[in-house]
Amino acid sequence: MLHPGAFEHRQGLQTRLLALRISLAVCVSALAVAFWILQVVQHQKYEAWADRNYLRTIPLRAPRGVLFDREGRVLVENRDSFTIVLLRERTANLNAAITRLAEAVGWPEARVREPIQKAISRKDPVFLPIPVVEHATLAQVVAVKARQLELPEVQVLQVPVRRYPDDELGAHVFGYVGEIRDDQIGRPEYAGLEARAWIGQTGVERVYNKQLMGEDGSRNVVVNSVGREIGEPLGQDDPREGGRMQLTIDYDMQKALEDGFHAAGLNGAAAFLDPATGEILAMTSLPSYDPNVFAGGIDRTAWAGLTGDPLNPMSNRLIQGKYAPGSVFKIVTAIAGLGEGVITPDFKVTCNGGATFYGRFFQCLHSHGVMDLRHAIEQSCNTYFYTVGSKLDIDKIYEYATKLGLVGKTGIDLPGEVDSLVGSRAWKQREYKQPWYPGETISVAIGQGAVSVTPIALATMISTVANGGTRVTPHLVRAVDPDGQGWKPVPMPAPRAKVELRQEDLQAVRDGLWMVVNEHGTGGRARIEGKDVSGKTGTAQVVSLTGRQAASATMDVRDHGFFVFFAPRDNPKIAGIVFAEHGIHGSAAAPIAKYVMETFFAKREGRPLPAPPTSLRVAPSAEPREIQVGNGRAAGPGRDR
Amino acid sequence: MIAERRLPAHLDWPLIAAVVALAVIGLATIYSVTWDFRLSRPGPQFWTQLYAIPIGLLALGAALAIDYRTLAQRSLIFYAVLVVALIYVAVNGDTRMGAQRWMSIGRFSLQPSEFARIVMALVLAMTYGEGRRGTRTPSDLALGAILLGLPLFLIWRQPDFGTAATLAPVLLGIVFVAGMRMKWLVVGTLVAVLLSPVVWMYVLKDYQKDRVTTFLDPSKDPKGKGLQQIQAKVTVGSGGFLGKGFRQGSQGAYGFLPVAHNDFVFSVLAEEWGFLGVLVTLALYLFVLLRSLDAARLAKDRVGAFLVVGIISGFGFQVLYNITMSAGLAPVKGLTLPLMSYGGSSLVATLAGFGLILNVRMRRFAN
Repeated sequence: MLHPGAFEHRQGLQTRLLALRISLAVCVSALAVAFWILQVVQHQKYEAWADRNYLRTIPLRAPRGVLFDREGRVLVENRDSFTIVLLRERTANLNAAITRLAEAVGWPEARVREPIQKAISRKDPVFLPIPVVEHATLAQVVAVKARQLELPEVQVLQVPVRRYPDDELGAHVFGYVGEIRDDQIGRPEYAGLEARAWIGQTGVERVYNKQLMGEDGSRNVVVNSVGREIGEPLGQDDPREGGRMQLTIDYDMQKALEDGFHAAGLNGAAAFLDPATGEILAMTSLPSYDPNVFAGGIDRTAWAGLTGDPLNPMSNRLIQGKYAPGSVFKIVTAIAGLGEGVITPDFKVTCNGGATFYGRFFQCLHSHGVMDLRHAIEQSCNTYFYTVGSKLDIDKIYEYATKLGLVGKTGIDLPGEVDSLVGSRAWKQREYKQPWYPGETISVAIGQGAVSVTPIALATMISTVANGGTRVTPHLVRAVDPDGQGWKPVPMPAPRAKVELRQEDLQAVRDGLWMVVNEHGTGGRARIEGKDVSGKTGTAQVVSLTGRQAASATMDVRDHGFFVFFAPRDNPKIAGIVFAEHGIHGSAAAPIAKYVMETFFAKREGRPLPAPPTSLRVAPSAEPREIQVGNGRAAGPGRDR
Repeated sequence: MIAERRLPAHLDWPLIAAVVALAVIGLATIYSVTWDFRLSRPGPQFWTQLYAIPIGLLALGAALAIDYRTLAQRSLIFYAVLVVALIYVAVNGDTRMGAQRWMSIGRFSLQPSEFARIVMALVLAMTYGEGRRGTRTPSDLALGAILLGLPLFLIWRQPDFGTAATLAPVLLGIVFVAGMRMKWLVVGTLVAVLLSPVVWMYVLKDYQKDRVTTFLDPSKDPKGKGLQQIQAKVTVGSGGFLGKGFRQGSQGAYGFLPVAHNDFVFSVLAEEWGFLGVLVTLALYLFVLLRSLDAARLAKDRVGAFLVVGIISGFGFQVLYNITMSAGLAPVKGLTLPLMSYGGSSLVATLAGFGLILNVRMRRFAN
């Protein structure tokens, strides 16, 4: 059967079979080398990659620290909010799930779809629950729970959110919380925080955010390639609640203060301080807002409503509003004059309804006749303080204003405080490249012209006067409990300056301020029997008299009123300011101050708190009228005190 | 017929042991990767594969019971049956995952294309083994190409590019050992290379082009077509030297590596058993390949030798390609790993193929 070439064929076959076997062995060996490189040489790189694939961390939000008032009453706390979430990973048919969920919670489908669409377009990982109904009502929670079988992809989560029990009360003290903004991520104070973290956005919530935030926990889960959770969680880091804080605020006084404003029908700002320490017992800025609205994420309409409100409820007038203090500034002029020795308490000026300085006539409201310092303060006599101002250099007034706390920031522990301004040669040169004109000092002496200060700066100034010359720092925190181990007192901020004044000089100023309230001055509405309330009113012009007519159609042109005060006159226990926006006159602010101080003294002496006032309105006709000057070079008729 | 009775003594038991070992390793890997975490049991693929092993061993027995020469002489009948079955599937088959490959026989479904390799090996062994002149000229090559062309075209159209591609090595392997002049082999390969731009433009479908471009730069599309390739590397690389352990892998079990029980079963093996497991498995495959070629060397005639080479060329090509792809080092093609990947038809056909190889070796002394 074998043909002649069979042997040759046999040889060729064997050779080629051998070649085939060798090449197969080479190929398999090459594969072994390739696997060695991947599995041994590059192992670590791929192992890390594989871990990233299947390990997921789901954040658990920590409750923020609770805020207490100085007597241990809860001011800000947390509550469990029910959030109805959709777990996309469990959804077989998203549209059907949306329809069922919308039906269960009683919402239109579009409203349910919106947050889901947002999460999808944001490329959120599929295992992250999508919050659909935040702050769900009990009815919604019950409806979803009852239909759990039909809604396997829906869950109800409990999330701790901030609760402000008294709604708007103290809103400008506490501030509000919100999701971290893109521009905030990566700032040093928010180090380590990522998108979706909740932080204090203003107020105490913001300044003490780090202490209040606590530490979010997390749950580590194993997920498969479509993000579905597999098996039991690998572990859970429980969230750590934020540190508790005791504020200097007294809840009763805070309530009295805001009730007082409402009873007076006024907006404005106020602060009540312990003049010895700078502790703020009550403070407000009105109109205000309800921080609860922000607690779970504010919607666009509500935010637009707040920021677009012409009354600007989001602005904290106490630290962000700047006004000409008017007659309140006469306290500074008096102390500068006494301190520099250009006057004594007995220095007398005869007021004939004004006086001429540097060739110009400056007006006073009345012809007060012969005035000494005490009566000049009581009567708020412009002529007297023009004269004191004419004896002082502007830089000396600036120096005393600074020591009293009227220049720059007071250092209050709230965000966004603006600088208060009192004119000086250096300032004018810097801002206007012009020399200071002596005539301008005459205006500054009665709080007009180059004076623009915040209410909190005026409160600091009057506290300094009340405590005998120590400029304290207004502050809001008394004690902290960072880890639940007990309260640790927060030391009072160191005094920032000291005004050296002879006792008899200080006493004369205090006497004058006492007479404003208790004798023939403009502060009579703040008088409390036996408490020796001392104070001074002031008026800040909104527009000049000449512009008033033109502007009255488009804006509120009524003047602002100030009342700064302390009590009792000797060894004062309380000091502060009430600023009445468009209150027309400082005396409009006095009844509010009186009601809060009555509350303060009632508590001190263990008496029942005074009943909330029904009305603290002041009839416009009852207001005394005064003359006001404009700035130093363009004096005109006006009203001031 | 004394010789016939002594035949079982000539059975190549080491080869059978290695083949069964590979099938069991594959089965265990399928068990691990299809594990259902909610129900705490392996997936249905495990059971299908488990039943396929005894069926495959029956097919192996059947394939060695009848003298291979008898089978080779009737190979044109098998060829006709294959072509008819492929046409039937094309017209009337079941469509799964976008390909029309399956035909139903009662409760079972069958992929005729899986048996194409054996049939082609029989037909081509017969064609070249019985000829007087041997195979030396281009016209011999052309004849084989025409015989191969019909089933290859039908399988390609299913579409099943991978299985179609494994038919070419059957022809190439046989004509190589049959003594085809290297010149013509080189010319044939050159023609194929020169034709490849034409194939690229007019024959390859978009998804096939995508696979090639994705292979060249997987990072271009890491979420889409490059995903499998990158995840294959991650799966293999994360296994390390000793592996993560049985059922401890995350890449295959959690679905990061698609079709892990099928095309990428070797990646999962590498993940769970590490480089050590890879070495053992590669050694088993190499043993199977070399031991089978030993049968070709010992074969008493050229038909037997060519039959073994034809089967082993297709098998070897598919093994090498699949393992290379499992490591993310070759474009992803729908090409399973013979003996280990999930797939009943494939396992039965592969074991039947080894039945033929055993057949050739067993009858090396018989006349």
